[in-house]
Amino acid sequence: MNQQTVLEFARGPFFYFALLFMLFGLAYRLFSVISLGWSKNRVPNKGSQAKGVFMTFLKGVLIWPFIPWVKNTFTRNPLIYIGGGLFHLSLFVVIILGTPHMLVTKSLVGVQWATLPLPIVDFMAATGIIAMLILLVNRMIHPVMKLISGPAEYLAWLFVFLPMITGYMMTHHIGGSYESLFTRHMITVDVLMIWIPLSRLSHFVFYFFSRAIHGQEFGKRGVAV
Amino acid sequence: MSEETIKKGLADKGVSRRDFLKLGGLLAAAMGMQLPPLEQSGLPAALGTPARGSQIEQNILHALETKQRLPVIWLEFQDCTGCTEAVSRSVSPSLENLVLNTLTIEYHETLSAAAGYQIEQAKQDAMKKYAGQYILVVEGSIPTDNDGAYCVIGGRTAIDHLKEAAAGAAAIIAVGNCAAYGGLPKAKPNPTGAKGVWELITDKAVVNISGCPAIPEATTGTIAHFAIFGTLPELDNLNRPKTFYGKTVHDRCLRRPFYEAGKFALSFDDEGAREGYCLYKLGCKGPTPYNACATIKWDQGLSFPIQSGHPCLGCSEPNFWDGGGFYQGQSTPLDKPTVAVVGAAVGVGAALGIGTALVNQSKKKAKKGGSK
Repeated sequence: MNQQTVLEFARGPFFYFALLFMLFGLAYRLFSVISLGWSKNRVPNKGSQAKGVFMTFLKGVLIWPFIPWVKNTFTRNPLIYIGGGLFHLSLFVVIILGTPHMLVTKSLVGVQWATLPLPIVDFMAATGIIAMLILLVNRMIHPVMKLISGPAEYLAWLFVFLPMITGYMMTHHIGGSYESLFTRHMITVDVLMIWIPLSRLSHFVFYFFSRAIHGQEFGKRGVAV
Repeated sequence: MSEETIKKGLADKGVSRRDFLKLGGLLAAAMGMQLPPLEQSGLPAALGTPARGSQIEQNILHALETKQRLPVIWLEFQDCTGCTEAVSRSVSPSLENLVLNTLTIEYHETLSAAAGYQIEQAKQDAMKKYAGQYILVVEGSIPTDNDGAYCVIGGRTAIDHLKEAAAGAAAIIAVGNCAAYGGLPKAKPNPTGAKGVWELITDKAVVNISGCPAIPEATTGTIAHFAIFGTLPELDNLNRPKTFYGKTVHDRCLRRPFYEAGKFALSFDDEGAREGYCLYKLGCKGPTPYNACATIKWDQGLSFPIQSGHPCLGCSEPNFWDGGGFYQGQSTPLDKPTVAVVGAAVGVGAALGIGTALVNQSKKKAKKGGSK
């Protein structure tokens, strides 16, 4: 079995399985929560739930990240806020605005969009990797973080870190032939996709649902304003 | 024939001393020689010491002057003759001559004037006469299903012919992706059970000059290397000479700066295509295949596919026919689930999720009811 065969496996059947497993697992988890039902609303609502959803996304995604100092989460834990923020921004740039990743989406669903030049994507990838390392060290030395971190947290970190570092190595041709780097990247991505529904990494989908549910809850008004 | 030295053979054909010297330099360049394997080649060790001018060139000239001519047997199986076509147009007439005329090609189905029983007999005679000395060049894949019935020459299967010729060969060179890794005939569903030479001949080193077709200079350069030094060039893990297959097409691509700058052609007739931007988004496989297309190029260094506006297909790699669509990005997955399969996965997941929720709900209700 040569490198090419392993690569074809990682890009072919393994990816196929990982993708279906991720979709299956996310659907299962989502519906097993949604179908539990909501508690009955005993007070007639006078506010707009739709507006609540809109406002919570607006604040959470577009406002607070750019004026973070108004939030306690920032002022009390600036390292985690900045590190985590940069890491998520890096993921967005690399996965959505990186050319090879856009092509994956294009081949799967047929939609394509403009991407950023490689040096910018590369810089953001490096930023994400450094942010992840700093956050890991923080997790390991901060007394409170140490206390609330178990194997699940470290595994989630590892399964996200591996595709990032292998992707970075692949871009820079560090540590082997292109096929072997490509293979490593694809295998780690496949493993990550399998791990997503089994762990809290599923928040990359569920975040939007929970945010929406919180938003409509915030939009409720028991008394007329 | 093969008792003459290579130089004498050339001189007999009217090649002047000046052209002979040029040939030496050309060969050194074509083979990418930096340090010739002097010890194995049996050439005087004194040649290893630095001398005036190009030391490598002098070594090659010395070898051409002293080495005997080399018989070549060229077998064709499941092929399109494309690699022969390519070699017959290799960059310089002298290099092509060296391989096709000066080295004695004793058997070549396409180039031989003779046919049928006569040429078969000539091949048998040559294999007997030059046992253990000749170079075996194979073009085309070898079918193995149904006892090799899909390719029969002179009443005998391709496997038979290959094994017979390989037994007495001094070196085996598989030219083209078909002979090297199975190529097009091996593409799914591989109806003939096609295989590359190195899958069948395991007791001898097989040099793979992959490509579709193989770059002619890589073929002639490798044959010339063996003719001159008596050894095979250094090979990579897929048995390709590192001289020609040491770098990826992407590494040496003239459109590489556009890749780095993120400037891509999005279709074959957009502004980007006209500006000569990178073809990565049009499915270029350049980053994976190892080949010398971007440096040696084709038709006397005129152009190569990417230069003329077509993405690289990755034809120097095993199974390139099945490596995803030719016009799909190379990062894309090879197997895509259909909408129905995705629907089924999500549907089953959702159904199981709803089922679990209902069970949990009823358990909760039962518990509440019980506590009341």
